[in-house]
Amino acid sequence: MADSTLALGVEAVGCAAFDAGIKGAFGYPGTPSTEGFEFVEALIHQAGDGRAAQWAANEKVAYDLGMGMSYAGHRTLVTMKHVGLNVALDAYANSALTGVRGGLVLLVADDPGMHSSQNEQDSRRLAEFAWLPCLEPSTVQECYDLTFRAFELSETLQVPVMLRIVTRLAHCRAALVRRETLAPTGLGVAPKASIQDWVLIPANARRRYVDLLAKQPRLKAEAATLNHLVPGTGRRGVALAGMGRAYFGQLALEHPALAALPRLEIAAYPVDPALEQAFLAQVDEVVVFEEDYPVIEERLGLRGTAKVHGRLDGALPRTGELSPRLLKDALGLKLPDGKAAARLDLPIRAPRFCDGCGHVDAYEAMQEALAKVGAPEARVFGDIGCYTLAAQEPMAAIHAVVEMGASISMAVGAALAGETPSVAVIGDSTFGHSGLPALLTAADAGVNVTVVILDNRVVGMTGQQPSQALDQVERMVLGMGIPEAQVQVLLPVPKQHEANVAAMEAALRHPGPSVVVFRRECIQSIRRGVLKDHDRQERERCVSEACS
Amino acid sequence: MNASRIHGIVLSGVGGQGVLSLAQILLEALRRSGLHALQSEIHGMSQRGGSVHAQVCYAEGPLSSPIIDEGCADLLIALEPLEALRYVSMLRVSGALVVSEEPQTDMEGYPPLDDIYAALKAVPGAHLVDTEDLARRLNHRQAGGMVLLGMASRFLPVNDGIWREVITQRFESKGARVTEKNLEAFEAGRGLIKEPVGV
Ligand code: SF4
Repeated sequence: MADSTLALGVEAVGCAAFDAGIKGAFGYPGTPSTEGFEFVEALIHQAGDGRAAQWAANEKVAYDLGMGMSYAGHRTLVTMKHVGLNVALDAYANSALTGVRGGLVLLVADDPGMHSSQNEQDSRRLAEFAWLPCLEPSTVQECYDLTFRAFELSETLQVPVMLRIVTRLAHCRAALVRRETLAPTGLGVAPKASIQDWVLIPANARRRYVDLLAKQPRLKAEAATLNHLVPGTGRRGVALAGMGRAYFGQLALEHPALAALPRLEIAAYPVDPALEQAFLAQVDEVVVFEEDYPVIEERLGLRGTAKVHGRLDGALPRTGELSPRLLKDALGLKLPDGKAAARLDLPIRAPRFCDGCGHVDAYEAMQEALAKVGAPEARVFGDIGCYTLAAQEPMAAIHAVVEMGASISMAVGAALAGETPSVAVIGDSTFGHSGLPALLTAADAGVNVTVVILDNRVVGMTGQQPSQALDQVERMVLGMGIPEAQVQVLLPVPKQHEANVAAMEAALRHPGPSVVVFRRECIQSIRRGVLKDHDRQERERCVSEACS
Repeated sequence: MNASRIHGIVLSGVGGQGVLSLAQILLEALRRSGLHALQSEIHGMSQRGGSVHAQVCYAEGPLSSPIIDEGCADLLIALEPLEALRYVSMLRVSGALVVSEEPQTDMEGYPPLDDIYAALKAVPGAHLVDTEDLARRLNHRQAGGMVLLGMASRFLPVNDGIWREVITQRFESKGARVTEKNLEAFEAGRGLIKEPVGV
């Protein structure tokens, strides 16, 4: 046992993808999916055999990269978090029609309980929506084994396969037994005969949609091999998936009576209705333990042959993640008395900006400039990244944070409604992710909107991955059609404060669109030397080209 | 250790203090002792100086839940006194806690330190240690985590050799001196609790 690999659940997925012979991995960072990509990236670098590991500008781009690799006949892993799948949804839903050539596995990490996300949407619904299979592990070893299985399934069924895990499993560390590592696949590029399958003009798409629906019985049959009906005694049963399965399994060790309950164990979707029917025939009452949405619960409930308990009837809370405690409550098990908690009011220790973070200087300059133009109460549209921390008191510098890229579009919308000054704050990687098309619209709309780009040169929040827009931001901005006179690059340090306030003020007063780039590298990334090599190479290039 | 049940350790502290790396050392040491073990960590935004906590579960047989219920943990290891109080109710009545007295007060409304120490001392099974003072005496600024681990080792079914092995491997890449310093801090912590106390 001691010599097996120790890995997080999400790393186990990356590890399995490597061992299953992927030719490349693509993704966009997002907690808790990030480490899965980083693990496979490290393995690929170590192997040094020409495989690719590439962070993409956003999740849609990552997915499309994966599709291209699959088209070329190779296995590929694409990673993202649940909200990222919304960005890739266009590509994902359409890939169900084209199908795949080399196996394509999409790792999606959901975040029930919203540990670090804007919502707790359930990706299983998006698998169902696209008519695609979804596998759901419940332990670290299953993360590994089911990823392997997902690649096989993807190639057998010729569709992408989603692997859905949740935060608790993604960040659970355990021993892992690896299989033999397979060499990268090479099925060859999609054959000529299949070209029309990949061209989703309506005539082809209609045919492919029929094909996809015709595959559904096979999808169900394949899923059925991973789903189990465990007969038991009594007419009260449980239906289990994901962490619900993991927690119940452990409770059953401690409370042997639970092991005798009839249970339906789900690890793959779509679930075969015949299996559900067979389970329901054994019980009059079911408690469903699944993470996020009541997917299984709803399906069982609709059949109307048994009383179904779960998130819908209040047996479990409607929101938030599962826990062993919630299972115990719902099953009526007695909880032990713990130690008495301290009778002291414990204030929350909220995350905050690192000491010396350039974002703080940028926000201070922005707030002072807003006061100077007589709009200290102006609402500021924010975005997703470390700089979102400014939404907290006492800074309270941003007043809306919806999704990647929303800051610029919302500010333009507000400006079109007559709100001035209208300010958007966005980070450099978020700008590359989905701020670019929004800025194109801002330039075109020509309204008074000030776009503040906080350029820390990395994706700060998820662990300092290099930003795709690295040192390109102002060139991109100019390319979007913002006039040169309205683009400023500032250094957010205390010494520059007065000058920065003045520059911000000018931007706010300008009647058309303007962009202020505050550029200073993330303190954490400097500490870790993330861009050291890159900067050294740039300096050398500059010297040799005499551009300094 | 009680063979038939699942044991749990809760670790808490502030982002950047090394809670997760301590948890990984524990996980490795328990596994090398022939036990089944799982670790759960919650981070993300919490890396920016927020509360961080991790859990380690272990048992003689297979485990599938990485989370410990309230009132079920055997041991709490806290790198910060306020972050210790936050998790006291995770412990079973007989549970123990090892706590650093060194506060991280860089937040809104940190309660008076004396109140925090008093509340901690009132918890049966609490072992407080002035890690700041110990670190000074050991001439090793970051000794705190290893001192706490040394104390915690008194409550865990892991032998001395395995602890030394795991700690050595952890710090190997940083050189022999750093490894020695950490082993020394571990021993200092171990010495603070005289008798091995199984839980
Ligand atoms: S990680 Fe970087 S960007 Fe984020 S708060 Fe810290 S210094 Fe700022």
